[in-house]
Amino acid sequence: MKKIVIFGYNRLSFEAMSRLDLSIYEILIVETDKKQFELAKAHDFNVIYIDFHSDDDLRAIGIEKDITVIFCFFPNDADNVFLILSVRALNKKIPIITTVETQGAAEKLLAAGANKIIDPYEICGRKIYELIKKPDMTHILDHTVFGRHDLNMAEVEIPAGCYLEGKLVNDLNLDETANLILIGIVDKKLGENLHFSLGEKQHKIDAGDILVVMGPSRDIRLFKKEVSNV
Amino acid sequence: MKRFLIYSAYTLKTSKRYTRSKRFCYNLLENPRNQMKSRFDVFMICLVMLSVFLLIYEVDGELGQLGKVFEHFVVSIFVIEYLIRGWLYSDSHKIIIEYYEKSDYLNTPFRSSEVFKKILLKKLHYIFSPVAIIDLLAILPSYRPLRFLRIFLIFRLFKLFRYSNSIKLFADVLNSKRFELITLLVFIGFLVFIASIGLYLFENEAKEGEILPLYDAFYWAIVTLSTVGYGDIAPKTVEGRLVAMALIISGLGALSFFTSIIVAAFSEKMYILRENRTYAELDHYDEFVIICGFGRVGQEIAKQLKNDKMQFIVIDKNENNIKHARHQNILAIHDDASQNEVLLKAGINQGAIAILSTTGNDVSNVYITLTSRVLNIKIKIISRVNCDENIKKLQQAGADHVIQPFEIAGLLAVEYLGQPVAFEAVLGILQGHKHVLMDTLVVYQNSMLEGLRIDEINFQQRKLRLVGVISSETKHRKHRNRYQVKHQHFFFNPEKYFVCKKNDILVVLGRDLSIEHFRDQIEKSRLK
Repeated sequence: MKKIVIFGYNRLSFEAMSRLDLSIYEILIVETDKKQFELAKAHDFNVIYIDFHSDDDLRAIGIEKDITVIFCFFPNDADNVFLILSVRALNKKIPIITTVETQGAAEKLLAAGANKIIDPYEICGRKIYELIKKPDMTHILDHTVFGRHDLNMAEVEIPAGCYLEGKLVNDLNLDETANLILIGIVDKKLGENLHFSLGEKQHKIDAGDILVVMGPSRDIRLFKKEVSNV
Repeated sequence: MKRFLIYSAYTLKTSKRYTRSKRFCYNLLENPRNQMKSRFDVFMICLVMLSVFLLIYEVDGELGQLGKVFEHFVVSIFVIEYLIRGWLYSDSHKIIIEYYEKSDYLNTPFRSSEVFKKILLKKLHYIFSPVAIIDLLAILPSYRPLRFLRIFLIFRLFKLFRYSNSIKLFADVLNSKRFELITLLVFIGFLVFIASIGLYLFENEAKEGEILPLYDAFYWAIVTLSTVGYGDIAPKTVEGRLVAMALIISGLGALSFFTSIIVAAFSEKMYILRENRTYAELDHYDEFVIICGFGRVGQEIAKQLKNDKMQFIVIDKNENNIKHARHQNILAIHDDASQNEVLLKAGINQGAIAILSTTGNDVSNVYITLTSRVLNIKIKIISRVNCDENIKKLQQAGADHVIQPFEIAGLLAVEYLGQPVAFEAVLGILQGHKHVLMDTLVVYQNSMLEGLRIDEINFQQRKLRLVGVISSETKHRKHRNRYQVKHQHFFFNPEKYFVCKKNDILVVLGRDLSIEHFRDQIEKSRLK
């Protein structure tokens, strides 16, 4: 079981939780507001009422050791910044994902030590803009990649000794051989960044690299199997 | 006579040429939303100014032949304008028809004289309206026997009122403070009366003063009250000076009262002035988006639209948000977007292509959506929603698309857990960082893409990646990876031999530069 701690019980955390696979993840919600705490409890969530300002309380829920990831979903940026600073001080490695409320707070959150920032408003604004600008595509993507149809994005890690090792990305032609579209690659030699695969630069595939592909889930499954078949 | 009247009234009503010409004149003279009117106004202002300059020149110079011709030209334009405005003021044939139908219904006799009286009354109403009187006074003095009325030529300047909005606003301001101004006027009149009588009593010649008739006293009182004080007439006696002192002090009071009334009225009207400018600007837009709510989401949309050089207007109730928008030179209306008039004024039926309801409050969003849908059946409405349970309500209210910010954010958060790299890709594409984005290319008729096979397009060389094709073409149906979305189909990763038909839409992934370049090429090939 992987353990996830979500700070703040609200719309965003609710949406995230409803999508988590509960057979893999164990969720703990931390809430400091009495009303929200009662609400979460009434919904049968595993919720705990602590003061996140105190390091001891944070230690008590296991921040220092066995937590896979932390979500900071407090509605207030200042709370999130404080929380991230406290958590970072206790645990250097733990991945922290946070939301951001006001413009300009993103840099502060990153400076405090957040790994990823999700800005619901920015994403929403962009989506609405795309709905005006390119309605067809947005609509289709919503229903396929981000929606209920069976089209997905997935990442595939290349194990040592895989048949793809040593090949060049541009020669892969996954669209013909595996019915998948290669979106990008993380070339470990060049760091952890994702490079979109647009034929601009040649990458050689080594063990440990990660391919990001898009396609029907059946083909993704097949491809994963093929790749891991050393 | 009677039959002729009714017959001609109905002919006019059905005559297309008549309605068209009346419409044209209305657009030219009265319709504030028409371009023609603004051009006509500028033309008239020039005419008025020129004719007044001629008048000044005429004072000590002789007008040449050209000047006289010009004067005649100006006057005839004025006359024509005056008559057309009178014609536009009321529809006589409508009055006749209305009267006829009424008498027909009530079985009362149709009296022609009655109808004429009604028509005449309407026209008289026009003739005695202040603007029409000014127009008439600007024309009359040109008639030779009435040359003594030359001074009224100055009234031509008043004609400018008609053609300039800001002067109109000034008149409005004065009008809105009518009560205060009248009070003040009565007070001043009272003061002047007392002071001039007093001075006349104390300072007349019999008492070695300078004041001869009462008129002098009146003149002195006005000059003193207004704090101008020429000093050509000054009180000499002690009593007279006492009156002067009292008048000066109360004059100061009256003057400051007057100033404060005008200033207050202007600051009250200031926002109207600004709003008028907003609407005037809006009139120049032919296609624009209305954003209701300028919070974080609204700001993000505005940023994108601005980048894209699309036109838009913001409506928000919150004063801070409006201030913020105006700082960025964004057209903004400080009002409640759920009111019919506000949306109508913002142009929901005059060129708006979409309404975005992006407030943080679902109740407001539903209400704005509903109002917009009632006002305009066809317009595209996209609304933001914060709670899942309200999605249905918004769709019922008439929203075409409903977006849930926290749903997408929640989805991304979960994606990050399982597949951090794919998450990066999705987020990158969604947020458009690094200039990589997914975009669409339409296969226009007769463009280079039409009839081409996928492997002939050579996406690799263009540094693009084809994700799929959106099409409603039935011939494609046999291809694999077909996903149906409403009436269209999305073909993911189409085969090499997939042939592009017209109106298909290619979905590609690439850098903005290369997508733009390819799009330009397609456009060019289409025009050849």
